[in-house]
Amino acid sequence: MKALKADTFEPRLKVLNRDQAWAIHEAALEILGKTGVRMEHRGALEMLLDAGAESSEGGWVKLPASVVEKALESAPRQIDLYDQQGNEAMCLTNGNAYYGTGSDATFTLDLESGERRRTVLKDVANFARLVDGLENMSFAMSMANPDDVPVESIYVYVFAEMVRNSSKPIVFIADSGNDIARIHDIACQVASGEENLQRKPFLLNYSEAISPLRFPQNVMEKLIFCAEHRVPICLPSGSNAGGGAPVTLAGAMAIGIAENLVGLTVHQLAGKGAPFLFGPNCSVLDMKSTVVSYGCPEWSLTQAALADMRDEIYGLPIWAFAGASDAKVMDAQAGAEAMFSIVTALLSRANLIHDVGFLEYGNTSSLEMVTMADELVAMSRFFTRGIPVNQETLALDAIQRVAGGGPGSIFLLDDHTFEHFMKAQFLPRLLDRSRYDSWNEAGAADLYRACNTEARRILSEHQVAAKPDGVLAEIDRIVKAG
Amino acid sequence: MNDFKALSEAISKGDINKAVAETKSALEAGISAQDILNQGLIATMNEVGDRYSKGLIFVPQMLRSAKTMQECTKLLKPYFQEGDVVSKGQVLMGTVRGDLHDIGKNLVSMMLEGAGFTITDLGVDVAPEIFVEKVREVEPDIVGMSALLSTTMPAMADTIEALQKAGLRKKVKIMIGGAPVTERYAQKIGADAYGSDAGSAVTRAKELLGIDRSEE
Ligand code: B12
Repeated sequence: MKALKADTFEPRLKVLNRDQAWAIHEAALEILGKTGVRMEHRGALEMLLDAGAESSEGGWVKLPASVVEKALESAPRQIDLYDQQGNEAMCLTNGNAYYGTGSDATFTLDLESGERRRTVLKDVANFARLVDGLENMSFAMSMANPDDVPVESIYVYVFAEMVRNSSKPIVFIADSGNDIARIHDIACQVASGEENLQRKPFLLNYSEAISPLRFPQNVMEKLIFCAEHRVPICLPSGSNAGGGAPVTLAGAMAIGIAENLVGLTVHQLAGKGAPFLFGPNCSVLDMKSTVVSYGCPEWSLTQAALADMRDEIYGLPIWAFAGASDAKVMDAQAGAEAMFSIVTALLSRANLIHDVGFLEYGNTSSLEMVTMADELVAMSRFFTRGIPVNQETLALDAIQRVAGGGPGSIFLLDDHTFEHFMKAQFLPRLLDRSRYDSWNEAGAADLYRACNTEARRILSEHQVAAKPDGVLAEIDRIVKAG
Repeated sequence: MNDFKALSEAISKGDINKAVAETKSALEAGISAQDILNQGLIATMNEVGDRYSKGLIFVPQMLRSAKTMQECTKLLKPYFQEGDVVSKGQVLMGTVRGDLHDIGKNLVSMMLEGAGFTITDLGVDVAPEIFVEKVREVEPDIVGMSALLSTTMPAMADTIEALQKAGLRKKVKIMIGGAPVTERYAQKIGADAYGSDAGSAVTRAKELLGIDRSEE
């Protein structure tokens, strides 16, 4: 008999062929060589010129391909992020995908009243704790731009609040070279020193260049700070099709990638071999409402394309989004858009996937939405593992036993079922499959209410690993020092 | 009342060549530049704006119409005499200090221009002092400020205060907008109007200057 066994194919999405991938890359290089970029940071400009870039009129600088290619060579192919206890948490490379929340929502859906209201610092705490308690959320972002802290130090307060309420890796925002240094101080406290932090980083900075092709002073300060201190960073720009970039997706990707390559080049010049997460944000500007969409298929498509370019050309881990929506409440639209982006991000093997739980094109955050997305990620992970085919899963013995077992013999009772069902099936926790009567008797809750209940349960029951008092006191001091 | 049907259609479609030709022949037929502007160009743009607001056409179509209209307006310029009302008003626009988002602001500027306003765009990261200096220089009817970050919204209040201190506040109307901005916030900091998108920016601007649609 032939061995009943085969390697498992893990379903995977591919959206570009080789020629398309290289054509977009070549276009990005052409943008840098012909149009160039506006580099507004003196130090960064000098670094680029020293490396072989040419300055042209009005503060523009043109980058030959050779300069950019060097950076692509020296940037690491893998970024390891640890949790705040120093355990391995995210190995960002090749096909590994991790989901987490987004940053600065202006509003949030109140867990008690369901109302959309201005975010406060307590919301940052709640989202961080929720992420900590959800199995499929791998990293925390603030999900709030709080109204109740001093504006000049907003990102320092927010970072400290995430540290107090989660052990998972943190993706953080900063305004400039000033607050990022304070945030770094806090991180060093958590990791017991900078050396440890460099060895086992638990944080990644999210900064942005300005499409089209503009690199402001404060953004470059952050980039250089991260390169020098080996804090992992990503630098996507707002190359949204029809907004900061051409309306056609190929052009939007070309300019977004060009901007990323400039960021990467400066970064590698400032800290050769420092970790850089690659990738632009290529959503679309909606042609009716003029919002930048967080639920459109185009963003999912461009990041799937970027994953293909990673495999074909760059080899660097990539930045992505999923699990967000343009819907104003957590309704069917929110579910549909969230699932679309979650499953395609995983199928295309994006690496660090943020913005989970956003509603209203990134203006509003929702604890329920994050809770729902956690389950959708589980569903997608189940799907992308594929179908293992071997002696055990083909289950010929079980078939023989049950089919030949006479009347009343059922698979449900067979040992094979007992032994395999937990892995062989996706077992939903929130998606409701109960029979009508029991669903009705239990209160006829829809998914929004189920997620609300679950989010409340996690927030009241989940224990976040405590940090030493001394560390917490130091963090307070740094935050208040202003 | 003159017949501007062909011109109007060309503008609606964004057919620049045709619209320019129609404008030329209207001028040759002896129709006054003022009539062409008001009854032909601006009236059509108002209709286009309405159709956009109702969701019947998309932004690029509306902007193309605006561009078409501007090409036609250029032809009219030499015919205007001093004292002719060619602009609905002067608007000074800028994204406030610390803020680098400009797509929304640019869109608002383009829409206002399409509706017949004249725009001076100060760009992004505009400090209160610059607003003050430029208000002195340009003497606008309206100052428009954009902020996309909650952290830069206070710069709107700072700018209003700076205008106050410079004794210029009463000379201009102030209109603000951007994703985190609200009507309430506008009231709180003493702005005269808030617009949630480019379409409402035009409506608010007209209201501020007491431009009644029936007069157009
Ligand atoms: C594109 C974008 C960027 C681009 C901007 C490129 C550019 N050239 O403008 C880049 C990548 C540079 C960027 C950077 C940052 N961004 Co940003 N960005 C966005 C995004 C995705 C879309 C904004 C946009 O262009 N919309 C399209 C335009 C057409 O719409 P609009 O701006 O809202 O304008 C309309 C109305 O508001 C109104 N309007 C606007 N201005 C005015 C003015 C007047 C007078 C009137 C009447 C009306 C009006 O009419 C416009 C047209 O209809 C939003 C999220 C979102 N979906 O809105 C985040 C967002 C605004 N950004 C945000 C943040 C946090 C940042 C960064 C701090 C991120 C970082 N990691 O560094 C930096 C800050 C840079 C800086 N100092 O300014 C947050 C702000 C949160 C907050 N409450 O403060 C948002 C909401 C995203 C989020 N949820 O985190 N960003």
